[in-house]
Amino acid sequence: MKHKILTLLFVLTFVLTACGTKATPAPTEPAGGQAPVAAVTEPAEPVVLRMWVHTNNAFIAGYEPLIAAYKSAHPNVDIQLENFDYELYLQTLQTAMPAGEEADILQLFGTWTSQYYERLAPVPADVMTIEQAKQTFYAAPIGGYIVNDVLYGMPQEFNMEYGGVLVNRTKFEAAGLTYPPSWQTMDDVLADAQKLVEKDASDMMSTAGFHFTSADPTWASFLAGIKQRGGDYWNADRTGFTFNTPEARAHVQWMVDAVKAGVVDPIVFNDSTNFVIDAFFQGKVGIGYIGAWAIAEGQANFPDFADKWDYAYLPSIQGDPVFVADSGWGLTVSPNSKNQAVAWDFIKFVTTDVANATQWNIASGTIPAMPAVAESADIASAMPWVPKALNILPFGQYMGSMPDRDLVMYEIIYPHILNVLQGVETVDQALEAIDTEANSTFE
Amino acid sequence: MNLTIGKRKSKGGLVIAKRHFVTSVTLPLLLYESLGLFVLGWAVVLMFFDYSPGRLGGPILGLGGSNPFVGLGHFIQMIKGTSVEANLFRISLRNTLIFAVAVLPLNLAITLPLAWLLESIGTRFKALYRTIYFLPVLTSSVGVALIWLSMYDPQAGWINAIIRAVGGSPVAWLSDPRAGFANVSVAMWAVILAYLWQDYGYNMVIFIAALQGIPQELKEAALIDGANPWQAFRKISLPLIRPTMLFVCVMTMLSSFQIFDIIQVMTNGDPNNQTQVLMLDIYKSAFRYQNMGWAAAESFVLFLIVMGVTILQMRLLRTEWEY
Repeated sequence: MKHKILTLLFVLTFVLTACGTKATPAPTEPAGGQAPVAAVTEPAEPVVLRMWVHTNNAFIAGYEPLIAAYKSAHPNVDIQLENFDYELYLQTLQTAMPAGEEADILQLFGTWTSQYYERLAPVPADVMTIEQAKQTFYAAPIGGYIVNDVLYGMPQEFNMEYGGVLVNRTKFEAAGLTYPPSWQTMDDVLADAQKLVEKDASDMMSTAGFHFTSADPTWASFLAGIKQRGGDYWNADRTGFTFNTPEARAHVQWMVDAVKAGVVDPIVFNDSTNFVIDAFFQGKVGIGYIGAWAIAEGQANFPDFADKWDYAYLPSIQGDPVFVADSGWGLTVSPNSKNQAVAWDFIKFVTTDVANATQWNIASGTIPAMPAVAESADIASAMPWVPKALNILPFGQYMGSMPDRDLVMYEIIYPHILNVLQGVETVDQALEAIDTEANSTFE
Repeated sequence: MNLTIGKRKSKGGLVIAKRHFVTSVTLPLLLYESLGLFVLGWAVVLMFFDYSPGRLGGPILGLGGSNPFVGLGHFIQMIKGTSVEANLFRISLRNTLIFAVAVLPLNLAITLPLAWLLESIGTRFKALYRTIYFLPVLTSSVGVALIWLSMYDPQAGWINAIIRAVGGSPVAWLSDPRAGFANVSVAMWAVILAYLWQDYGYNMVIFIAALQGIPQELKEAALIDGANPWQAFRKISLPLIRPTMLFVCVMTMLSSFQIFDIIQVMTNGDPNNQTQVLMLDIYKSAFRYQNMGWAAAESFVLFLIVMGVTILQMRLLRTEWEY
């Protein structure tokens, strides 16, 4: 307690000292965007691969049988799965990678690739070319793994924060609303949401009709709203952002109007208080805006939740349901791995084999990164909300490589928009601040 | 004669043994300390680079190249930059100062009278009360944060339940950026209260020890001269515990400037960055946003502030007498 500054300095410096102790070999510049590596043959000697993933029980439950199956087919290969709590995983990557001590196989979020690509091995051409990857995966998830026309990994999920909502059917029925809803426009959604709102005796909102004020839905709907209105948040050459535009203003104003309509109170329903997953699975939300990944997490964390619920998709704000997505979790290989060929073979086995990818997506409750998997009968049977998304998945675009995606989404866009919704900032002030601060991340 | 020589030999042996002992003990310590100095020096170096561990950088320790030298750029940014990092730094610095300035007098206002009261009660209950008041200090900060988090819950927390019961309007203690008192947000006051609850027992025990160390005859003399207990406390006890006061002020100020865990769990800097303090900002910059160079520069600024405040307090409160 009394020595935190020194401790922090020590941690920072110790870690960074370690960074300098072992230089990470620069990845071979691939010809035509791809590095040639010999095709894998069954290793003559035993090979041990270490694999790092973030702690998510559903994800791990998906990996374990696939690792067992691969080991069974390749008796000389042993794959050791190690998992880290999300925050710890970030720190571990940041310390281990500069020191060259990272595992052979690294689970990364697609948008992180643009931050780590200097420390990742490119996908060898004989494993998969960029063209093959674009044909195999949806555009949004594979987009995150391509930096400067080089492919650095393979996605496993389509991380879709836009458009999907958890719906409490029990509350729908109690409010006299028909289910499934026939939402044609967002006005229809807001009309239903108003009827789902509940307040306690002191007039504090106890049930949000439409909880869209957590961080992910806020930035996802903001970016989608700009796109659907015909605007863009990138400048022409993608060297800067353009957030202070009529399209952006129109969308934030739409959010303000939704709050004024009383569908949610952003003071008591936001990212830190009544986070949408927790609030929904505690019966405090009628319609909760969140990606489908939340389903597995909610079910695991709130097994006693007894209300009937479903997962549905919202209509677009206007025109085609164009949206942007920030890739999704996938697998990459360390350039320090002595067994890169085997590592890539395993990744291909997990991510591109339709049966294996299907098994993983069902276990993890994630939307598949491959159209062939998303459209499969097995997925439709195990995750009935995925077929509903098939109409809009092709409209998903990769959000683009940003210098610091997390900083832009969670420290710039979300806080300023939440300020507007909470009444401490005007729309114009927020957009000006977002534009200035987001562009400063390029400096 | 032989006996004398033997004595000299054994004395010399003892000296050599002592030297060996001193060397064997101090050398590892010196090595350990030099390692500490080296890594602190490395942090100082980092302040002048835009260093991120995700980037390869130059051939020497990853410095240069894609981790470029920026000189005093980070410090200039902190003063007049418009980037989100610069804005957050200034907000965090302001919040840290508010937190420290509020905590120190409040802590003293609670702990000193409490220590005085406890010191004056019978020994039968003294240990019991001391244990009760000291218990929060022994509780983990995360546990304390979670307890207060549930109490502050806008819908199910018992603080709002009491307010509702007496006909008042409930407050979103940790998430309403509009609510404030004395130009400080309600969320910050809520965090300060939780922190004070956890921390006050520590200073109270120190004050009790100091009060017990005052010679009884001094107090008795004052009482015989007609002073009432309050006057005896104000004119005798308070001046005599000034060295302890200095220690408590310095340590409390240090902990306040380094507040992190309770805030991270309770608010993570929300609402609207009203509880974002420097340690939290350093942590986020370093480990969430991989901006290690910036975080090192922020750490250095915090170090300078803490050192300055400590020196100032030592000058203001130092005494040149003992009893």
